[in-house]
Amino acid sequence: MEQELIKLKNDASSLIIAAEDAQELTAIKLDFLGKSGKLTELLKGIKKLPEDRRPEIGRLANEILGSVEGLIATRTNELTGKKRESIKKEFLDITLPGLKPPLGHLHLITQAIEEISEIFARIGFSRVRYPEVEWDWYAFESLNFTANHPARDDWETFFIDHEIDAKHGPMILTPHTSSGQVREMLRTTKSQAAGELPNIKMLNIAKCYRRQSDISHSQMFHQFEGMVVGKNIAVTDLKGVFDFFVRSYFGPDRKIRIRPYHFQFTEPSVELDVSCGVCAGRGCRLCKQGWLELGGGGMVHPNVLKNGNIDPAKYTGFAFGWGVERVLMMREGLELDDLRILYSNNLDFLEQF
Amino acid sequence: MNIKILDSWLREFIKTAADAKTIADRLSLTSVSVEKLEKHDGDYIYDIEVTTNRPDLMSITGLAREAAGALSQAGIKAEYIEPEYKKVTSNKKLDLEIVNNPKLVNRICAVALDINLKPSPEKISKRLEAGDIRSINNAVDVTNYVMREVGHPMHVFDYDKLLKTGKMIIRESKPGEKIVTLDEKEYMLKGGDIVADNGKGEIIDLLGVMGTLNSAVSDDTKRVLLFVDNNDPHRIRKTSMGLAIRSEAATLNEKGVDVEKAMDAILRGVELLEKIADAKLISGVFDIYPNKPKIQALQILETKINSVIGITIPLKTSWKILNDLGFTPKEIKDGLEVRVPSWRANDVSAEEDIIEEIVRVYGYANLPNTLPAFESGKPYNLVSDRFYWEERVKTAFKYWGFTEVYTYSMVGENMLEQATKDAVVIKNPLTEDRVYMRTTIVPSLLEAVRENKGREKLRIFELANVYLKKAGSLPDEKLKLAALIKGPKLSFLEAKGIVEALLEDLGISGVVFKAAKSGAAGASVFIGHELLGEIERLEEDLIDLEFDFETLLKHVSLKKVYKPTPRFPEAIEDLRFEIGEQIPYEKIVRTIHEQSNLIKKVELLDVYKTKKTFRIIYQSGERNLTSEDITQVREKIISALKKHFRADPA
Repeated sequence: MEQELIKLKNDASSLIIAAEDAQELTAIKLDFLGKSGKLTELLKGIKKLPEDRRPEIGRLANEILGSVEGLIATRTNELTGKKRESIKKEFLDITLPGLKPPLGHLHLITQAIEEISEIFARIGFSRVRYPEVEWDWYAFESLNFTANHPARDDWETFFIDHEIDAKHGPMILTPHTSSGQVREMLRTTKSQAAGELPNIKMLNIAKCYRRQSDISHSQMFHQFEGMVVGKNIAVTDLKGVFDFFVRSYFGPDRKIRIRPYHFQFTEPSVELDVSCGVCAGRGCRLCKQGWLELGGGGMVHPNVLKNGNIDPAKYTGFAFGWGVERVLMMREGLELDDLRILYSNNLDFLEQF
Repeated sequence: MNIKILDSWLREFIKTAADAKTIADRLSLTSVSVEKLEKHDGDYIYDIEVTTNRPDLMSITGLAREAAGALSQAGIKAEYIEPEYKKVTSNKKLDLEIVNNPKLVNRICAVALDINLKPSPEKISKRLEAGDIRSINNAVDVTNYVMREVGHPMHVFDYDKLLKTGKMIIRESKPGEKIVTLDEKEYMLKGGDIVADNGKGEIIDLLGVMGTLNSAVSDDTKRVLLFVDNNDPHRIRKTSMGLAIRSEAATLNEKGVDVEKAMDAILRGVELLEKIADAKLISGVFDIYPNKPKIQALQILETKINSVIGITIPLKTSWKILNDLGFTPKEIKDGLEVRVPSWRANDVSAEEDIIEEIVRVYGYANLPNTLPAFESGKPYNLVSDRFYWEERVKTAFKYWGFTEVYTYSMVGENMLEQATKDAVVIKNPLTEDRVYMRTTIVPSLLEAVRENKGREKLRIFELANVYLKKAGSLPDEKLKLAALIKGPKLSFLEAKGIVEALLEDLGISGVVFKAAKSGAAGASVFIGHELLGEIERLEEDLIDLEFDFETLLKHVSLKKVYKPTPRFPEAIEDLRFEIGEQIPYEKIVRTIHEQSNLIKKVELLDVYKTKKTFRIIYQSGERNLTSEDITQVREKIISALKKHFRADPA
């Protein structure tokens, strides 16, 4: 038995040393150490030995088992090392093009909308969306527009061929996301329990339409509208939110300023300017005295709150509506010859982003 | 609207040591935006954007008052110099009979003068030209000069031309009436325009918009009628937009100018004509003034001012700001009572308007930044956040190699896949190809394909609304997910694979693909009886799909289900059969599965004509499989396929 064990060990050793790849080693391992391997079979015979011989042979057998396993492990390492060496020596042209997984492109507008939503989510604004085909009442009348306001002309706004509704007036394509203001107030006040505060932090991003098509206007475009309504909402809150957005979206190098402006549905009304990224605020042909207009906003007009079933004596709010295309252009400094290229299906353009 | 004015002209009405840059900055931050400040011939030009509610600031005097208030609030000494106009004492009546219609015109001021028509002195013409107004002759120049300085548009007629009939009757125009304006262009009126009639049916002025040639000052003019008309702004807007005559007078008049300024304008005009046109009065000032503005007094509490602005502003500061702007504020208990000046009558009518005046001049830059103090605290539920799913789907398509497009919601008749009467129609489209609100996205994607003809292969998608007409209410706006694949030797299965992967990613199961019943070759995809969408094979190299996003949203799921991972190894075997091409794959797979519960998975490896190769994966949850187990199942599969489909191992 002793002899047989030693012979098996020697056979195994020479085979292991001669083995040239992992497969061969696995075969050797199975052949000797497998369920019905040579060494395994031989060890089964230990039981038949006289009792006093068993401990000694047992020890030897374990030793041999250990050394065969050890040899296999060493040889495996050697072979792996050798293989790595030979891979290292192989010629590899790392300048060849890679085999890319499929990769398409999200539209610039989608990319901007995702980022804007993310920024406002950080300060608790929830996204909503309201109809694009809208009643005059939500887009103008409830927002305090006078009956003869130019925006209600059919030179500026698209009208739908539909009977005039007794309550809501003509049907139109909404020219701004502000049509969501009163809708959001009504939705909130309708769903809230008695005595609950109308705490609104809304972000309404949607397609808008105006009757203007030239190099800097597309008849279809996108706006994002923020609105906050609650107890003691003040001009300083509007300013803080504007500042938060600009620092988040445009980065720390751009400055802001807030100027008086005029809108029907806010009072006071303001316009937000961001310092020009091209000339760093010194003034250039792209900006106005170093400033670029971002968009308007203001404190929600009391008549608008009333139309949203919110008591202007108890609650105040602010709102703003800005162009997605506009903030995108202002940040990236993309000098598009014609803004309408965004909606042009031109794949050579769309695949750049 | 923009106005360009010279610094030196402004300084005739404001006393301050502040330089032009400082004035520009203060105006921008507290009043109207100075878009450009340019050096000009030893002087400065301010190019100012004036908001539509402030036509009073389309004037030197208005801007001077505003600038003085803004500067002094910022601690810079400045004073507004209020102009004083010399009264006309003559009571002599006009030889012209003017008949007003108070429904159309609020006030008419007119005066007749003998003049010496000649070019204006340099000072006048330079000031006008710096403001982009062409200098013509002293009579016309005076009207423009006064408009810029006082802020009310005015007109000058050749008095002798008016005296041919001796009558001027203000009336509405009738549809089809023709006029020739003083720039010698002919227009046909649509009716409802404010015109002056010479008593014989001939139109001698298009009020508030532009004069007509037949009554205009010409080279041989000796006597003039200086004329200020304050009109109904809405009619002016309609006329000006309808005829596309966007004169400065029209852009001002359509915003509503201060009717009180009409007399100032006449008096200043007389003064100037006397100075530069050797003018002599031949009448007193005719003034017909039926519609006076309502002057309001508003009360506002100090607490209201402070709570809306967000900081405490001393009442004295508010008082001074309002006073400098020409309001008449008076301290009352806990607040102010404020009388609104005539030039702000249209614009200031509520507490909030007063707060705006205070906060803007106080300066937004002087306010701190705060964030709204409340959080709504409403629970957020990811799976019901539609915007999350929209973003997830778009991102999936991006990583499947699709490029996102945004096409117009409006289409032309050729792209409307239904009767025009069933579509939402735009009454006033800009172009013929954007008249109908689309009811499907695919035609727009096909248009994109046509516009990228050179591309043999492309993958595009869009997530956008369609608009379905509904009687008596707003249309249904439904979000649709549409995609299109173009490529040579395109397999239907490529598009189907996209749909399958999409549904898997959205956690939607139990979906059935059925052969499309109508239209092109393809499949309709159902969940139960609900149609999710369709895949259409349009051409050999073109497949599109369109899915109803709202229906998808109803079935999306983020639910996690745990199944223990298999403890026993799987056995894999490939079987090849000769089997009829017409036999649907799904049926074969179902039959194979039915043969044993040891069959864990069946995959299609290859199809070649009538030969299909399947990969069968065997696995047991309880034990290791023996070769006998597998042989048994294999034989069952072979005999079952033979029995049901006359298939043979190949």
